[in-house]
Amino acid sequence: MMNPEPGTQAQFAAALREADLPMPQGLCAWNGPDPARRFEVYRNNVRQGLLGALSSRFPAVERIVGRDFFTLMASEFISVNPPRSPVLLAYGEAFADFVAHFEAARSLVWLADVARLEWARGQAYHAADAEPLAATAFAALAPEALGDAVLTPHPSLSLLSSPFPVATLWAMNADEMPLAPIADWSGEDALIVRPHGLVRVYRLPPGAHAFFSALSGGESLGESAETALAAMPDFDLTAALALLIEAEAFIALHVRETSDAR
Amino acid sequence: MKPSHLPPRAGVGFKPEHFSEIDAARQPVGFFEVHAENYMGAGGPPHTRLARLREDYALSIHGVGLSIGSMQPLDRDHLARLKVLCERYQPESFSEHLAWSSHDTVFLNDLLPLPYTQDTLSRVVEHVDQVQEALGRQMLLENPATYLLFAESTLEETAFLAEVSRRTGCGLLLDVNNVFVAATNHHLDPYDYLARFPLDQVREIHLSGHSEATDDHSAPLLIDSHDTPVKDPVWALYAHVLERTGPVASLIEWDNDVPAWPVLKAEAEAANTLLAKARQRSAA
Amino acid sequence: MNKSLTALALAGSLASALAAVSVPSAAAAADKEKCYGVAMKGQNDCAAGAGTTCAGTSKVDYQANAWKYVPAGTCETMMTPKGGHGSLKQGPAPM
Repeated sequence: MMNPEPGTQAQFAAALREADLPMPQGLCAWNGPDPARRFEVYRNNVRQGLLGALSSRFPAVERIVGRDFFTLMASEFISVNPPRSPVLLAYGEAFADFVAHFEAARSLVWLADVARLEWARGQAYHAADAEPLAATAFAALAPEALGDAVLTPHPSLSLLSSPFPVATLWAMNADEMPLAPIADWSGEDALIVRPHGLVRVYRLPPGAHAFFSALSGGESLGESAETALAAMPDFDLTAALALLIEAEAFIALHVRETSDAR
Repeated sequence: MKPSHLPPRAGVGFKPEHFSEIDAARQPVGFFEVHAENYMGAGGPPHTRLARLREDYALSIHGVGLSIGSMQPLDRDHLARLKVLCERYQPESFSEHLAWSSHDTVFLNDLLPLPYTQDTLSRVVEHVDQVQEALGRQMLLENPATYLLFAESTLEETAFLAEVSRRTGCGLLLDVNNVFVAATNHHLDPYDYLARFPLDQVREIHLSGHSEATDDHSAPLLIDSHDTPVKDPVWALYAHVLERTGPVASLIEWDNDVPAWPVLKAEAEAANTLLAKARQRSAA
Repeated sequence: MNKSLTALALAGSLASALAAVSVPSAAAAADKEKCYGVAMKGQNDCAAGAGTTCAGTSKVDYQANAWKYVPAGTCETMMTPKGGHGSLKQGPAPM
């Protein structure tokens, strides 16, 4: 990088972000030049403010690794991936990928997926509002139309598939479940949605991830059921439909005209 | 251009954790203020709460990320987001800071100081004009809490603010705590600063707590930490300001170590007591 | 796949599902009630944050000290993968 011109905001900004750089030129205080400690207030404020934003976005990750380690990891993230927008509620999307490649956290191979789940929760919290479909909308469908029903996902809906017990790991570190050793260390899929005021996290039964992915992608109920069965032979359609209704994860339904309709 | 028109009463910076208590009964609060950037999501509980508050109270939207003091052009996307927010909630007031917070494409998340020169003055005037034109309303510009000075400065902060206001028609947000913090940090008399401040342009006042540190030479250095009650010398300065301005909308800001609602309410009531005295004086 | 069979299977599953999910509205009501109270902290602020005070916040070279840092927190409690890929109890995680 070229050295920024002395006395400019470019130089001030660079020195704020890089603790190794000297203080910018042209600064002073009433009692002398080179007010290093005064400049340090700004430097610390930038750092602490962004650390605070990440720590409130990824509280379970912080609880898992402890405050010191989180501070180290988040500081590294901030230096390579500073916010590009003043809207900090959208800051941290790249954090999970960063965690996945963070050398010192390599022993926690599952940590990045916990970060992905927390990011999804934050996105769901701020997503657009929409009234979810009531159970009666499904009950009212003619049985023969069911297979061609196409659903519109709630704007807050997201799905996560993990080779680790991500939902349990998250729940235990978000005071949703008591903290305990996880005996059954199997992969978990999660559905994250905020149909009303609260963000909900559902642990999905086998095949349901494929089912909900297909539905969100615009496949009909019939096609999605087939997709899920193909992906997971012991896919339980009843359980998936029950979850679909309970999670209130979809907002609209229409029956597609099939090409062979007479 | 729609003028800023908050009621001349005490207001409180809104924190979501206080919502239930606030919503349970009418509060002795003239308005609430929120940070614009925290309401730039598409939906969700932040908007649900704000819309509910808006039904009962006047609203001030206070930006913390527009970077008006940047030497680079304003972020048009961000300005567009502010416009959407102001159109949605029709706040009585929109305010921002005499500071910068972005450079290139990086958001630095702090209210950073700028030198006061003819150059920076024209840039700030240009930006304030742009904001007011985009939003179709008068904005308020806030005096910053600063920790250091620039050798190249040729204008006093008070003269700088007066000139921005004169050229753009913007109102001023006088942060009395910032006056006390900056005056202490720069070894100035805060009353002298206020004597030079264009008080006739003040449309809102901010009150908050600060913390104490020391600088490179062990001189006192106050930090604008918003984590304590308003301190006595700041209350005294505030009373002094009200004697000159008459009643002005006055906000209690408490952003770190946020206390229980009754504590904030008591701070607002203390401000209301001083505002009532100012009203009596104006009536007399 | 036989389309009519799928339709039948779907209709049957939906009937069972609707019977199983008798109280979605209760969850919805609780959500609505709690919505106001539950807050993710706002991210943008205009105050100097905790730790901003220069006293006691010396420059720390985290990179150089990285070797010292090992994850602490709750991870040790949970890092006990055993029992292989046994059956995991399914169902919605409590929220």
